[in-house]
Amino acid sequence: MASIMRPSVLRQACQVPVTSQRMLSTLSRTSIKSSSPLSQHLRPSLVRTALPKSTRIAAFHATQRKQILPALPQTVEGTANDPTPVPEPEPVHGSYHWSFERIVSAGLIPLTVAPFAAGSLNPVTDSILCALLVIHSHIGFEACIIDYFPKRRIPTVQKASMWALRIGTLTLGVALYSFETNDVGITEAVTRLWHA
Amino acid sequence: MAATRTLARLATRRIAARPASVFTRSFASVSDTHARDPLSKAAEKIDPKVITKPIPESQTSTIKEPEPGKDAKIKTFHIYRWNPDEPSSKPKMQTYTLDLNKTGPMMLDALIRIKNEVDPTLTFRRSCREGICGSCAMNIDGVNTLACLCRIPTETTKESRIYPLPHMYVVKDLVPDMTNFYKQYRSVKPYLQRETASPDGREFRQSKEDRRKLDGLYECILCACCSTSCPSYWWNQEEYLGPAVLLQSYRWIADSRDEKKPERLDALNNSMSLYRCHTILNCSRTCPKGLNPALAIAEIKKSMAFT
Repeated sequence: MASIMRPSVLRQACQVPVTSQRMLSTLSRTSIKSSSPLSQHLRPSLVRTALPKSTRIAAFHATQRKQILPALPQTVEGTANDPTPVPEPEPVHGSYHWSFERIVSAGLIPLTVAPFAAGSLNPVTDSILCALLVIHSHIGFEACIIDYFPKRRIPTVQKASMWALRIGTLTLGVALYSFETNDVGITEAVTRLWHA
Repeated sequence: MAATRTLARLATRRIAARPASVFTRSFASVSDTHARDPLSKAAEKIDPKVITKPIPESQTSTIKEPEPGKDAKIKTFHIYRWNPDEPSSKPKMQTYTLDLNKTGPMMLDALIRIKNEVDPTLTFRRSCREGICGSCAMNIDGVNTLACLCRIPTETTKESRIYPLPHMYVVKDLVPDMTNFYKQYRSVKPYLQRETASPDGREFRQSKEDRRKLDGLYECILCACCSTSCPSYWWNQEEYLGPAVLLQSYRWIADSRDEKKPERLDALNNSMSLYRCHTILNCSRTCPKGLNPALAIAEIKKSMAFT
């Protein structure tokens, strides 16, 4: 509501009665006539207090409120006493996936530290680091897509974003490969940036 | 004979006159003419583009303490109100003021006092008033907790806000719809599954160590405070089981007497049921019983890892 109402229009509408009151009252007319610096100073505060509180706040809510994926009407599968359907076991997307993800994440820590700690540039550790980085980022973004683009609600968006992610991951892989083979490599690049 | 029967029926009808309409529970839709419209028509009236947040308390009236005594400690409560009998009207925040000197120490006391003395239309679940039934779970001052275990902050300058559990369908006012939650609970088969009889024909016994594994699990009262505090459960409520149900699942996985552990683990071994947990740990933070659902979920993950 507040965002729909034009606060500026309302403010003008609210100011009008204040001025008309001032015209009628002799006391305020004298104060206007005198136009002392004190009354000049007071007027803005007078106008501000005459405004309803909601209008003053409304000015800050200028952006339109829009819901992302608003909740659909409630549906109950089966009766209230049926259990929710149990999905088929898929270890590839379940426990294997989780174990693999943890190994990759844990492996990245020593791989990030090792080349700098050793102070030597090794193409093998460099390539492993790059490969794990690609896999790690892919798994991370995949989790985001599964979380925020629910399959049962927007299946096409999820499919499209998954393909976009795959293309992105492939591009990243190719880019890192060419950077490793044609340029200095990721470790050396970080070292140079650090010393730059 | 027939005539007397008719007469008798008429007479009994006259005698057993229905009480005046004031005392009967009328259909709530009598005053609201739109409530009798078909649901599709009512749904058209609800414009999803307009606000979905409740009307703030600044735009609703305040219901004051009936008789504030001398040196009354007046505390303000803003409570979420929504009436299903008026489906086209928006939820709103209703303000109530209460004298804390006449109110019990807990939030549930305040709610009961509002319902008894100020506004009988306020709706909430409550049963045991001592934190063992889990009925009065609600969002108080931004934290999911049991109203009966939550003290009213005695600072009267601070105003309290009470909402239903977040991201649940609301039945009325502070009453959320728990159908999906209970259906999920049922899907983990929360009972002992055993094929073999006990060796001596008596009850299934377990060692003290095995029994100790269930401490911190069996105390869960299924109030759904943890599940509704989990952002992952907010987004994927239909597929992700949520901390409370996973804690219960682990309670049976950890039970030494249960013989269906592999089947129980298989039921969780997919992308959605268990692995939507991203160890946000809101569940352990909010649990009004002081349990640790996140630890139970981590134990399930650990027992399933590398298998």
